[in-house]
Amino acid sequence: MNMNAVYSWAEIIAIVLLFNVCFSTSYRRTETQPQVCALCGGSVNNTAVDLFCSSSAGRIKGRCCLKNNSISDPERIIGLDLSNCSLTHVDNLQGVSTVVMIDFSINPIVNISDTVFEGFGDLNFMILPPHVACPGGNTSWEKVELKEGKRLCEGQKNMCNQTGHLSVYCPENSLCAPYGPGFSECSCAENFYGYKCLRQGDFPALVVFGPLAASTVVMSLLLWVTQRRKAKNQ
Amino acid sequence: MPPSCCGCLSQYTHHHLAVFLLTFFSYVLLHSSRKTFSNVKVSISAQWTPSISNDSAQFSPAETWENNRLFADEKQATLFLGALDSIFLFSYAAGLYLSGVIGDRVNLRYVLCFGLCGSAVVEFVFGTLTEWLHIYNVYLYCGLWVLNGLLQSAVWPCVVAVMGHWFGKTGRGFVFGLWSACASVGNILGAFLASSVLKYGYEYAFLVTSIVQFAGGVVVFFGLLTSPKEVGLSLEEATGLGPVETETDSHKPLMSDEEEEEEQVEAYARRRRSAKPQEDPPPEPPQAIGFFQAFCLPGVLPYSLAYACLKLVNYSFFFWLPFYLSNNYGWKEAEADRLSVWYDVGGIIGGTVLGLISDFMGKRSPVLVISLVMAMGALVGYSRSPNDQLINAVILAVTGFFIGGPSNMISSAISADLGRQEALRSSQEALATVTGIVDGTGSIGAAAGQYVVSLIESKLGWMSVFYFFVVMTGGSIFFITPLLIRETRDLWRDRQALRRQL
Repeated sequence: MNMNAVYSWAEIIAIVLLFNVCFSTSYRRTETQPQVCALCGGSVNNTAVDLFCSSSAGRIKGRCCLKNNSISDPERIIGLDLSNCSLTHVDNLQGVSTVVMIDFSINPIVNISDTVFEGFGDLNFMILPPHVACPGGNTSWEKVELKEGKRLCEGQKNMCNQTGHLSVYCPENSLCAPYGPGFSECSCAENFYGYKCLRQGDFPALVVFGPLAASTVVMSLLLWVTQRRKAKNQ
Repeated sequence: MPPSCCGCLSQYTHHHLAVFLLTFFSYVLLHSSRKTFSNVKVSISAQWTPSISNDSAQFSPAETWENNRLFADEKQATLFLGALDSIFLFSYAAGLYLSGVIGDRVNLRYVLCFGLCGSAVVEFVFGTLTEWLHIYNVYLYCGLWVLNGLLQSAVWPCVVAVMGHWFGKTGRGFVFGLWSACASVGNILGAFLASSVLKYGYEYAFLVTSIVQFAGGVVVFFGLLTSPKEVGLSLEEATGLGPVETETDSHKPLMSDEEEEEEQVEAYARRRRSAKPQEDPPPEPPQAIGFFQAFCLPGVLPYSLAYACLKLVNYSFFFWLPFYLSNNYGWKEAEADRLSVWYDVGGIIGGTVLGLISDFMGKRSPVLVISLVMAMGALVGYSRSPNDQLINAVILAVTGFFIGGPSNMISSAISADLGRQEALRSSQEALATVTGIVDGTGSIGAAAGQYVVSLIESKLGWMSVFYFFVVMTGGSIFFITPLLIRETRDLWRDRQALRRQL
């Protein structure tokens, strides 16, 4: 993190909280996120995120919209509304990579690095301050527009299906998957795992070594009885 | 011991069968783990290197595609794997000289078990443990492979020595010819084991072969009788016909079974009867032969040098054949691998048939020389083989017959002959030492050859490689020639004597 800049009190809290979020939660297993959701006060009534949340049957908690697909699943953050939060800086959002909609509007943000959104494969709608470009550039989005002093980035393009520029051909045993605006990842195909997805299935240790151990004991005994039992030690 | 049934095999007991199978499978397991290493090379070099994408963009996530950087690319990894092969061969050669000497002084069973189990543990550490712990270190790999070469070298002299103790000269050529198929069988088993577990990861190929090898070591420990003496059979008794005795044919060099069978059997029976009472008091432990003493035994040096030339050609086929086939004819790697099996098949048949013929002749070097002369022709023929898999396979099998056959014969049957020749009446324990010297010299030739072949191939092309093989085969003949002259003279003299008697 860039600590050279001078931050206001709220920003330092924000950064610390985001920092905590990314270390206290593991990837894609987002427990409820009180920190990032309580990043700033105010309500999200009738904002874009609020409307999106109620339409997709989520529940609002602080600045977040939470939803679980099934009862056993932990709740995931699908919406994040940090509008009007006095943020100048967005550095690390790893804990909320399941998010579908983000609102950063009405913040003094200068610039957001593309890498912040690496891994945000579901992200499909962003509202940004007007001078901030959509992450990954305009080519990563279906539709980019300026509306009512906000920049809207709609519809994340799938980098795997791109023809021409930046098309990624994944190596054997792996499949290309969207990995955030402008990013793609090569994740191992079904049943494959490990470095370079070279491994497949679980080694049946019992099936292999059980009979091997048994036959070793049997053969040792058999040979001992028929051969070495009568041997004189030289 | 109740002798097992039928005809000429009646001299063999169930102990012989057990010893044959135990020593055979000891070396099968050893060679299968050696083959495993060459079959998982692609997987290992993939594990050691980051992915290369054709545009400069890198694959993500990095922990799946980019994080292992032992080598920058697969080419460097392949070079390192080739270097590991050379390291192994040289330490194997050095170990052979050493372990033969040890094998004649310490109980062969202990040395054999130590070699099998020790190298199994080293292979486990090399292939499985380093992968599980994610320790990728060039020096660690080199050190382990040197150790592996030294430990593996303990096995061959021991198994040949044990076989030599149990199987006397009569029928040795045939028995050893059959037995020396163990390396080729090991190759096939290793290829099978490796290919069936490789999908779980290369570490499991090492895990399975090393544990199977370890289990083999345990079975050998509990089951192997290193010598007929251990169960109260004398060496002669064990096979009915022992090494040639001095008193009856002291003028003859190695291996002459020219007398009438009956006469010989009678003589041995008499000797056995008379020898028994003297042997019953604890016999003096036979003295082990010194290393240089063994080197100076008649026949050891010529056969060692001949084997160095021959093993060079033989191992070059082992290492380079699939590469040559896919390189020269453009055949797929799997096809080339399948085709190269025919060389092994030819070698197995060649070793057995040539051994059998040499048993009937009572001399080995004439058979060797004739076979090697044919081999030179076969090599020239093979280098001009048309682009047809069937014809290629046939010529390949013929080449394997004439090169692999003599090679198997020298490393097993002839080593055993040399280690139990009559010059050794006082000190019996020379088998392992002599085998170690012959095979060790051969391995040095093979190790040096790998480098020379790659050099000639890159500078002058494949045709020159084949001419190099022809020259090396000629060298092999050259070193055997003195023995050939002596043995044919003996053979001729015996014939004359026989004719005069009639």
